[in-house]
Amino acid sequence: MRRLALPVAIAALLALGGVVLLELVRPAAAPTQAQQAQQLARELRCPDCQALSVAESQTAAAANIRRQIVEQLDAGRTPEQVRAYFVARYGDWILLVPTSPFVWWVPVVAILVGVGVFAWWWRRGGVAVASALPAPGPGLREQVRDEVERLDV
Amino acid sequence: MIPTLGHLAVVIGLAATVYAAGAFILGGRSGDAAVLASARRAMYAAFALVAFACFAMVVSLLSHDFSVLYVARNNATTTPPFYSVISLWAALEGSILFWTLLASGWASLVLYRYRARLPALMPWVGATLALGTAFFFAVMAWPSDPFVRVTPIGLEGNGPNALLQNHPFMGLHPPLLYLGYTGMAIPFAFGMAALITRRTDEEWLAVVRRWTLVPWIFLTAGIVAGAWWSYAVLGWGGYWAWDPVENAALLPWLTATAFIHSSMVAERRGTLRTWTHALVIATFVLTLVGTFLTRSGVVNSVHAFTTSGIGAWFASAILVTLGVALALLVWRLPDLRDRRPPGAVVSRESAFVFNNVLFLGVTFAILFGTLYPVLVEATTGAKASVGAPWFNRVNAPIFVALLFLTGVGPALPWGGASWATVRERFAVPILSGVGVVVAAWALGVRDAAPLGIFGLATFVLVVMGDEVVRGAHSRARSRGETAPLAVLRLATRNRRRYGGYLAHVGICVMAVAIAVSATLGIDRTATLAEGETLSIGPYTLTYDKLVTEPLASDPRVIETRAELTLAGPQSGHMATALRDYPNSATAIATPVVRTALGEDLYVTLLGYNPDARTATLRIFINPLVMWIWTGGAIVAFGALFAIWPDRRRTAVAAAVAGA
Amino acid sequence: MRTRWLRWLLVPLLVVPVGWLLFTGLGHDPRLIPSPLVGKPMPAFAGTTLAGGQFSSAELAGKPAIVNFWASYCIPSCVDEHPVLLDLAARHVGELQMVGVLVNDTTDGARAFLARYGQVSWPNLLNADGGVSIDYGVTGPPETFFVNSQGIVVARHVGPLTAAVVAEELAALGIEP
Repeated sequence: MRRLALPVAIAALLALGGVVLLELVRPAAAPTQAQQAQQLARELRCPDCQALSVAESQTAAAANIRRQIVEQLDAGRTPEQVRAYFVARYGDWILLVPTSPFVWWVPVVAILVGVGVFAWWWRRGGVAVASALPAPGPGLREQVRDEVERLDV
Repeated sequence: MIPTLGHLAVVIGLAATVYAAGAFILGGRSGDAAVLASARRAMYAAFALVAFACFAMVVSLLSHDFSVLYVARNNATTTPPFYSVISLWAALEGSILFWTLLASGWASLVLYRYRARLPALMPWVGATLALGTAFFFAVMAWPSDPFVRVTPIGLEGNGPNALLQNHPFMGLHPPLLYLGYTGMAIPFAFGMAALITRRTDEEWLAVVRRWTLVPWIFLTAGIVAGAWWSYAVLGWGGYWAWDPVENAALLPWLTATAFIHSSMVAERRGTLRTWTHALVIATFVLTLVGTFLTRSGVVNSVHAFTTSGIGAWFASAILVTLGVALALLVWRLPDLRDRRPPGAVVSRESAFVFNNVLFLGVTFAILFGTLYPVLVEATTGAKASVGAPWFNRVNAPIFVALLFLTGVGPALPWGGASWATVRERFAVPILSGVGVVVAAWALGVRDAAPLGIFGLATFVLVVMGDEVVRGAHSRARSRGETAPLAVLRLATRNRRRYGGYLAHVGICVMAVAIAVSATLGIDRTATLAEGETLSIGPYTLTYDKLVTEPLASDPRVIETRAELTLAGPQSGHMATALRDYPNSATAIATPVVRTALGEDLYVTLLGYNPDARTATLRIFINPLVMWIWTGGAIVAFGALFAIWPDRRRTAVAAAVAGA
Repeated sequence: MRTRWLRWLLVPLLVVPVGWLLFTGLGHDPRLIPSPLVGKPMPAFAGTTLAGGQFSSAELAGKPAIVNFWASYCIPSCVDEHPVLLDLAARHVGELQMVGVLVNDTTDGARAFLARYGQVSWPNLLNADGGVSIDYGVTGPPETFFVNSQGIVVARHVGPLTAAVVAEELAALGIEP
């Protein structure tokens, strides 16, 4: 019974993952216009405040842009066209997510490099392990430390 | 008179810290106890002097002494006393004065507590702390003198920044944050001293762990209080905007948290020692970067102080600190070799290593996102923005992975785990997590973020619960104690471990609250006429009337408020206002928040029409928000529990020291 | 060991880029955002003015023009630049056209501002829905666009105008300051 516990748990996890995957693969309902407007508002910077999006800000300028987004979507423009409309007027600065793919790759590469460095360290068995001894000679300090370690675990 | 004395105190303080730095270095080389004692006294004197300078500034603010430029710019005759006092840290020059007070306070505390201990390390700890404090005194003596006088003396001042006098939280959030920031100089000073004296053994690690956790608690509390301030004051219904200055506070917190974990590996296994040292350096340098970002005008932020000439000073300080610290580290690399090879791949240390890679990854990502506009402008001259959508998308997966490791780490033993152990420790937690996800789905939760976080948090909590139960069970059996007593004894006898668990519980609470509030909230905007009613969720909100009148506490401020009556799970009268401050171009929103265990009702007045008496309101239902603050408090309390002095452990430490 | 000295490279490898980034960052003002409109035809606008009349940007055709975005709540910047604008209008009658555009302001507020700081001879568009501000990518008042006689935007200035800024931009428009 106890032998089966982990396989059962993993099977349950995989089943759940499968359901999630099916949900993701299944074509989602096309976003409503209100959702598109909300999404656009989240991605545009409020021109007269700091670090907030048009969706979050309460300034009049943000409200005007929110209204324009809705009007332009109503007029049949695509979200890409609306985004381009604001970029043509404010510059790339208005986009809270930069267009350069570079900004997405840098963090991913950084983490992969980090994992790589530690994998290398692991395989090498540590960086220049002090002499060949597994640990310094057993002094009183070591004994007390091991004692504390045993109590703690 | 008083401002002149304050300025004099700053100048003498600079001399005292420079003397202390020199005397610590000389004493460190010669071992002369008298010289070292005089250096310590010079640092205590510097603390007393800057305390006096702060006192002089507070007196000037309270007495509205407009001959002082800082007072004329940040105070008015009508400013209430409370906001006059906290104006000490509300603008650039005063905040540096306050910063210096805290930095020299921490330095004096450490030098006093360790006056008779760690004789080899302490001179160099003192020298590092004295140099750091001297830098801030020098900033006040030259580019950012808080006591600059003006003539002719105006009859009225500008008053404090409107955003800062709108909520009493301003009295709490900056001091907590500054205590955290300034305190991170202590582990750095110990790190430098350990490298200089080649005492890079477990002794310094134990001290540095404790002295990282102390400011870490303040930094945690300061960040959470800052989020709360943003939520309660700015009126946008959120609490974290990925504003550059918010990020600046998070960066040293992340590296300090990484250090808290990696130092355990260094202490127990004798590996990751260079890495642990590097984290101490990174944490301190990032606190300086944070100061630089806030005070140099390089990035746009709600928190940015007015642009000033001190940017170059801070940039130079960052470069010197980074250069010297790195050079010391490289010089002592041979001392920091691993004491034994890393353990098996499935082991607690490997979980900790992954934890560190992810913490550093998220630190790097946030630093990169924050500085990306500066980077783009420096290379192409174009302006770019990086905002919440990018930060959320990049950081959310990393934080989720970290939450997962929170459960994995404690379940695995040091050195390596057998297959049987893995099976025993993980089966029940995984099944519980899956069960909770299915149950939440059945109850109608459909968003991926809360479902995933529910599952993960359950996994983590069950792993820890299992640990506690197993430990308490064996203790209860072997000593014949009752179960609650066994749990209590277990926790108080293993403070580090169980304090850590408590902090992890707090993290789980925060994670759930953040995921739920970010996805399951409701938000509506409506323009109502007097007497009109609006329904949102289970609430009905009636807009009674519009009132415009001067604020009782400061008649120069005109408040226009919409008075509301709320019915539903919470009910009663309330008002949300816009306040016109004479020194602010736009009116400042004063949102009203009704907090309950399950959700907050949050109403902001966006605008009003004085003729038609209509009010435009934005109403949010923010679920579980109070659990974000509560989770933060649990995290801080867990860390406090972990470092609370333990009589038995102190005895063991004394035995070690005596050996 | 032969390669031991290599580890010292770590110090400059970190310090130099960080220093470069920090110090070049100091040289830039995050509040100055270049306008993508420079070099392009000015966006057209039309609407009611503060005086109650109608105004269309078509009336600006053929002569250099200045489009000034301002608001009565914008203190002290708009107050500071007001005399500069008055002086500009007085000195270049006939060769330079000016138009003001209000940014999220009330009619009463704007009238009170002009009554207090000096009436102006040029039209001021109410811009009630903020559409003109969006078309010009205005981040906040005051902001001023310089347009040449072909209707092409040649420059944008963010913040209060000063005599020195005006002189420089007018020279670019081909007008003797």
